[in-house]
Amino acid sequence: MPHLDAAHRFARWLSRSPGEADDIVQEAFLRAFRGFDALRGSDAKGWLLAIVRNCHASAFRQEQRRAQVPLPDSDDVQLECATSDAAADPQSVSIERDDQRCLERLIAGLSEEHREVLLLREMEEMSYREIAAVTQLPIGTVMSRLARARVALKLQWLQESAGEPHAVR
Amino acid sequence: MPCAEGSRVQAYFDAEVDAVAAADIERHTAGCPECRALLEDLEATRTLIRREAHYGHAPPLLRERITRMLDQETASPLQRQDRPRLPAWRTRPFWFGALGGIGAAVAATTAFFLLFATVPDAFLDEVVAAHVRSLMPAHLTDVVSTDQHTVKPWFAGHADVSPVVADFTPQGYRLVGGRADYIDGRRVAVVVYQHGPHIINVFTWASRHGSARVTTRNGYHVVFWGAGNLEYCAVSDAGWQELQGLVGLLRALDARDARE
Ligand SMILES: [Zn+2]
Repeated sequence: MPHLDAAHRFARWLSRSPGEADDIVQEAFLRAFRGFDALRGSDAKGWLLAIVRNCHASAFRQEQRRAQVPLPDSDDVQLECATSDAAADPQSVSIERDDQRCLERLIAGLSEEHREVLLLREMEEMSYREIAAVTQLPIGTVMSRLARARVALKLQWLQESAGEPHAVR
Repeated sequence: MPCAEGSRVQAYFDAEVDAVAAADIERHTAGCPECRALLEDLEATRTLIRREAHYGHAPPLLRERITRMLDQETASPLQRQDRPRLPAWRTRPFWFGALGGIGAAVAATTAFFLLFATVPDAFLDEVVAAHVRSLMPAHLTDVVSTDQHTVKPWFAGHADVSPVVADFTPQGYRLVGGRADYIDGRRVAVVVYQHGPHIINVFTWASRHGSARVTTRNGYHVVFWGAGNLEYCAVSDAGWQELQGLVGLLRALDARDARE
């Protein structure tokens, strides 16, 4: 199941916790399996990721219905990368120093719309057409979202960098 | 002020434009500081993500959970009945589709895994070579019998494993006999069936890790599956559905033996 890794990665980026991501992936494989006939063409990966996306969306809706109050956004990842007040020259901050958890934090700071196009493009290396198929969006929308997502990530990153030097270990 | 070419520059960066447009955009970028800065930003965010991102594998426990779930999904229509000839799948048409017969569940699973699985080439070559070899005169069987009570005990003295054996003549798969063969340095048990003009070799060896996979090699269809401590592999030039039919019968038999 080579696409399991991609499915898990995508779910992990979309969801709030590892446990939730696992549940989403499992549900997605079950739906994929039962709906196997619905696969048209040969893009099994895109097809599976689209199902992951739908599973995430329905899990999210269910949770919203259940929850009386919005869930807090914070977790240990956030604490780990919490920005301090100290200002620093963003130019002096090398991206190598940001560790993986901080990248997760940066990406978690993006809207879900931005997050998904960015990850499909940069991590899964999908074409605009493939991303459009997964997200059910017109290609033009994919392009504009991707552009905004990249700007948003850059801004997050500069903001985060301004909070150095705590990330230097 | 962002340059109006920004969108095209991004498409260029993402390798979404043809060579002519690429040359055009490169010419523009050479004279446009905004677009040069944009390209640098695009490169920086890409580097950030690709260098720092977590490319890890899905947790092994999740993989296990999903494998178990799909196995159950496959097995349940077969296990809910004692006589395989009364297919319970009729009540669950939503994913069996046009694939009728007792092999339907397996056909769906294996078709699914076709997209997800790879089999080492060398191993596949060996299995298919053994199948082709068996088709030469006097190579097909060591013990010729349509009686499972003759074939099954024969393996006890000639192979390391004891595969499920049955004559499925009523369902169109006649038991021809058995053979011992060598695959990948191992002695394997081979049960031979005939379906119309097609010979089907079913190889069996000890393995705890057998999972459902299908593939083709040199025009032969190959189906792998696991049951208990055994891994099975059926090879034939019969059509997919015909081959899956036998696989479904064998799996149902295995499931029944396991319950007894
Ligand atoms: Zn420009």
